[in-house]
Amino acid sequence: MSILLPVAIGSLFAGAIYLLLRRSVVKLFLGLTLLSHGVHLLIFSMGDGLRRGLPPITAADGSTLPGTTDPLVQALILTAIVISFGILAFILALAYRANQAVKSDDLDDMVTTDRL
Amino acid sequence: MLLWIVLFALVTSPLGLLGRRTPRPLIGWGLAVLPLSLFVLLALQIPLIASGGRLDEAVPWVPAMGLELRFSLDGLGMLFALIITGIGTLIVGYAGAYMANDAGLGRFLVYMFLFMGAMLGVVLAGNILTMFVFWELTSITSYLLIGYKHDYPDARRGAQQSLLITGIGGLALLLGLLILAAAAQQVGVSVADSYRFDALIAAGEQIRQTALYAPAVALIFLGCFTKSAQFPFHFWLPGAMQAPTPASAFLHSATMVKAGIYLLARLSPALGETLLWNGTLVAVGGFTFVFGSIVAFRQYDIKALLAYTTLSMLGGLVMMIGLGGKYGAEALVTGILAHALYKSSLFMVAGIIDHEAGTRDLNKLGALRRYMPITMVVTAIALLSQMGIPILMGFVSKEWMLKAALESSLPDPWPLVALIAIVIGAVGYIIAAWRLFRNAFLGEPSPTVQTHHLVDPKWSMLLSPAVPSALSLILPLGLLPAVSSLLSPAASAVYGAPFTFELYLYRGVNTALLISLGAIALGVLFATQQQRLAAHKIIASIDGAVVFDKLIEGLLAFATGMTRMIQSGRLRTYLLYIVLVFMLFVGTPFVAYGLDDIRFVLDENLRFYEVVVTALIPIAVIATIAARSRLGAIIALGVAGAMVALIFVLFSAPDLALTQLLIEVLSTVFLLFVFSVLPSRFASLSPAWVRWRDAFIATVFGVMMAMLVLATSSNTDFPSLAPWFLANSLSEGKGTNVVNVILVDFRGFDTLGEIVVLFVAVLGIYGLLRFRRVKPDVRTSGRDAQTIMPGEDPVLAGNGASPSAEHQVSAGVEPQRLRKSITEKDANDV
Repeated sequence: MSILLPVAIGSLFAGAIYLLLRRSVVKLFLGLTLLSHGVHLLIFSMGDGLRRGLPPITAADGSTLPGTTDPLVQALILTAIVISFGILAFILALAYRANQAVKSDDLDDMVTTDRL
Repeated sequence: MLLWIVLFALVTSPLGLLGRRTPRPLIGWGLAVLPLSLFVLLALQIPLIASGGRLDEAVPWVPAMGLELRFSLDGLGMLFALIITGIGTLIVGYAGAYMANDAGLGRFLVYMFLFMGAMLGVVLAGNILTMFVFWELTSITSYLLIGYKHDYPDARRGAQQSLLITGIGGLALLLGLLILAAAAQQVGVSVADSYRFDALIAAGEQIRQTALYAPAVALIFLGCFTKSAQFPFHFWLPGAMQAPTPASAFLHSATMVKAGIYLLARLSPALGETLLWNGTLVAVGGFTFVFGSIVAFRQYDIKALLAYTTLSMLGGLVMMIGLGGKYGAEALVTGILAHALYKSSLFMVAGIIDHEAGTRDLNKLGALRRYMPITMVVTAIALLSQMGIPILMGFVSKEWMLKAALESSLPDPWPLVALIAIVIGAVGYIIAAWRLFRNAFLGEPSPTVQTHHLVDPKWSMLLSPAVPSALSLILPLGLLPAVSSLLSPAASAVYGAPFTFELYLYRGVNTALLISLGAIALGVLFATQQQRLAAHKIIASIDGAVVFDKLIEGLLAFATGMTRMIQSGRLRTYLLYIVLVFMLFVGTPFVAYGLDDIRFVLDENLRFYEVVVTALIPIAVIATIAARSRLGAIIALGVAGAMVALIFVLFSAPDLALTQLLIEVLSTVFLLFVFSVLPSRFASLSPAWVRWRDAFIATVFGVMMAMLVLATSSNTDFPSLAPWFLANSLSEGKGTNVVNVILVDFRGFDTLGEIVVLFVAVLGIYGLLRFRRVKPDVRTSGRDAQTIMPGEDPVLAGNGASPSAEHQVSAGVEPQRLRKSITEKDANDV
């Protein structure tokens, strides 16, 4: 595999971890988004090689076409994308509510939910 | 039959609840029929066992892994099972009378029956895992019995100590047994057989050669020494005397504490005959023997005195296993029988004295001979047996212990050590026994004890100590051949090969007899001269219980400190741990196997636009991190998402690209909506060194993930699953779009799970956003009202587009403070 994609994946993970370790809720969210991108590409790279212009379909009679790409990783990522979207939406709602309650973006200020 | 015996004992335990009915003494003896029936059932097997046979039963569960319920009955198991059911019968009857006025008798009897079943399971188990389950059950039931009077702090403390000590030992034992099984598997025993006692014993010779032998023995020692209260784990046994006297008499003299002895004896043919095994046992057992007997005669509480002599005798028995050989085995089984008889009797007498005179304190008792003559006779016989006075069972036992020391084939210091230990121990026993007898039964009546209604107890209570006491006298006088035929198979099991032996009282003058008589003379001299050795004060001052309590305190303080340190309550700290542990596990293979297999290649077909798309991702990531405004971060994040979608487009994943783009757009809309109410600029919250540290960790993590991708894609050891899905898509899933077929058919449950996750997320979001509207009552209290009401404003007023920090501040609880802090944060922006 080309060296480029691993570098991209690595940068996504590095950026995600850095943002996750911050005190800000918003950065937590940004980090989670980057992390899900990184994981998706990681799974993508685990497939049966990256191929150009060869869709994961079979011929109409069910026989395997001369050139195809790995359908399994694509199915896995499709599931993963939707799930990570659900989680990110939830985190967003949480950040929104937390901001209303404690008037702060700082996780360290969120010591109590009593004011909610 | 064995399975049924154990099951019967466990299943019938709720019958103990009958003890809640009156009249109590009759209930006790009525329920004693249960253990008695088991005793008879086992006794019927004596001829079979005496002729060298054995019973073996197994209920397989997972045979391939050696998991089974296996019970077997041989000489050693028979001896223990008879003691458990025999003494158990007497104890249950005794408990009914002893606790006649105790409302908890029913509960107590249930515990006792449960314990009895567990103990039978231990001694009848033929599989080490089966044995272990029952072993732990005895620890738990013992805990319940010691803590029976749970409204007394001492009882709770004693119970907790014993559970912790035996529990820790139990864990060590489990590990030791598993290592033992692994050692057996190493030398060619099949997995299914490697958990069986007989297979382990058969392979003993080879097991002793393996490297696993030493750790297995060390851990098994730990388990057995804690259970059998060997020094330095001895202190829980005196603490366990908080249990009601019937339980003390049963568990802490005759049965449970002997479980450790039993296991050592059982494994002796497999693991013995090494210096590690025999030397350790003689040293630890010998020290416990001497220690217990010296501490014993300082005690004023009769039960404490008996507890320390028990401790001592357990040490003596461990020492006998250590001495090994035929004499060691003979002395062991004889000692077990003799001790069970006299010690259970003595404990029950202690209970009677406590029950009748109202105290067990030797300083407050006296002249009981006048009021309780029968009790005195029973006590005297048992004490004489403990002292090892001729023609009693204890004498025979001590004779054999001396013989085992004299005839031992161990290398030099050990037999002598054992001999000295036995002599000192014997002297200590005599002083302790004399002290008990003189203070309780002789002398003048104590003013503190009400004597006008002091009489011998009713038969229902006196029978129980009288029977074993009488047996201590009758067995050596008339029944030694019968006893020998019972003990021979037991000794054979300990020795590892069948043999028979004959117990006798007197057969000419020999060294053992002379030493024995000399020890008696010495003991009588010390006891009557009231002389106290200086040494015993020092030894007695080593109070293990105090040391243990300090240890536990220290452990708790340590745990609190660790918790404070690790559990900071901050999300990022926990994330940091997760990341570091992950890096440790992913990084180790790289270090261990090197990077040679990883190929760094540049695709020769690489197109220009591919390079641009891929290179934009790191740039977008850096922009996201460096962005000072929320909007900048959202844009950079969007670029990264779009580039990921483009990668899907370029490399034959149209479905993914479509979904990714859709989600990306949705996410951005949500983000803009939510961020509109948050402060528009990032505050820089962490100090610089933390940011640099996190940047370093993140970079290493990223490099590691990149290497991981390279390493896995360089790997060709595992065939791809893709061809299977491609080939079976139409025939199995009725579709040619393979990704769709996988989603809805091959991995349909994954998709179902995905839908469930989304649904849960929707519920959560709905709950979060709705919550604020259903709490109107909160607003009535001033402070809260200020907090919540303004929070609604930006959204309701459609004011979201410019949700400045000023807006936030104006809505805040303490505007001055917030304004100040936010200004500061803005000033610190990166």
